[in-house]
Amino acid sequence: MTLQSLALFVALPILVLAVLLAVVRLVRGPSVPDRVVALDLIATLVMGIMAIYAIATDAAVLLDLVVVLALVSFMGTVAFARYVERGA
Amino acid sequence: MREILSGALLVIGTTFMFLAAVGLVRQPDIYLRMSATSKATSLGVGSVLLAAAIYFGDFAITARAMAAIVFIMICTPVAAHMIGRAAYFTGTPLWEGTLIDELRGQYDPRTHELESVSFPELDTHLPDIEMRKFTLPVGSDLEGLTLAEIDLRRKYDITLLAIRRGAEVISNPGGDIAILAGDELVIMGHPERLSGVRARIRRIRKAAVPANPDG
Repeated sequence: MTLQSLALFVALPILVLAVLLAVVRLVRGPSVPDRVVALDLIATLVMGIMAIYAIATDAAVLLDLVVVLALVSFMGTVAFARYVERGA
Repeated sequence: MREILSGALLVIGTTFMFLAAVGLVRQPDIYLRMSATSKATSLGVGSVLLAAAIYFGDFAITARAMAAIVFIMICTPVAAHMIGRAAYFTGTPLWEGTLIDELRGQYDPRTHELESVSFPELDTHLPDIEMRKFTLPVGSDLEGLTLAEIDLRRKYDITLLAIRRGAEVISNPGGDIAILAGDELVIMGHPERLSGVRARIRRIRKAAVPANPDG
């Protein structure tokens, strides 16, 4: 098995399954912080998916997007946390 | 060789990220869920990015992957702490099997400031009584007044146990003692009464510094 087929046929499906599990928590909640944690995890999982897809398709440029997504998701989480703490 | 190393890191990273998602669904309360997601994902994404760096074997790509790893390692704990703090303040319940909540009664519920003395046994003996320590700010309108003039016991229904002034501790202070800025007042009473007296102690003279709008 080549590395690319490992990435495409093993790693990617597992991470997609992980995203679905995170969506279960996102829908079930029950509290807002639970949903924020679920969203944060989904963003992190998507970062992993992009890195794996970069390997699978030999597209190194996707790693730049990982950095961008890391920044955006951190900002989003911090903003959500402040909103939850102040707005409640 | 590079392919094997990269593949191994890929499998490790994917496994950890999947376990994080399983933990998010299966753990009983938010704090345990966060414990699963924040730790496992930073290791998971780190491993996957390292796998990509090794696979491409290019300096510029490795540098980018390393930047992303460092950023994730720094920011994941910060974000997790902020969500955990927000969840705790907004009263997100802990799992009913939780044995120790060391933060309980340590935070002022309104200002979210950590300002209490810890008396773990007090809780068992007197469930509705808390003990807090307040510092009299500079410019407080209580500054220089004697305890008889302030009359905390009658007005606020609390007991002033002791005053700590620098190295000196005045225990069971009498009515003739005047309080000064910087004094630490150890006060015992019902939590709601304590919030009231805290607001009173925090009040600053109008002529002095304007009150902190966040406070």
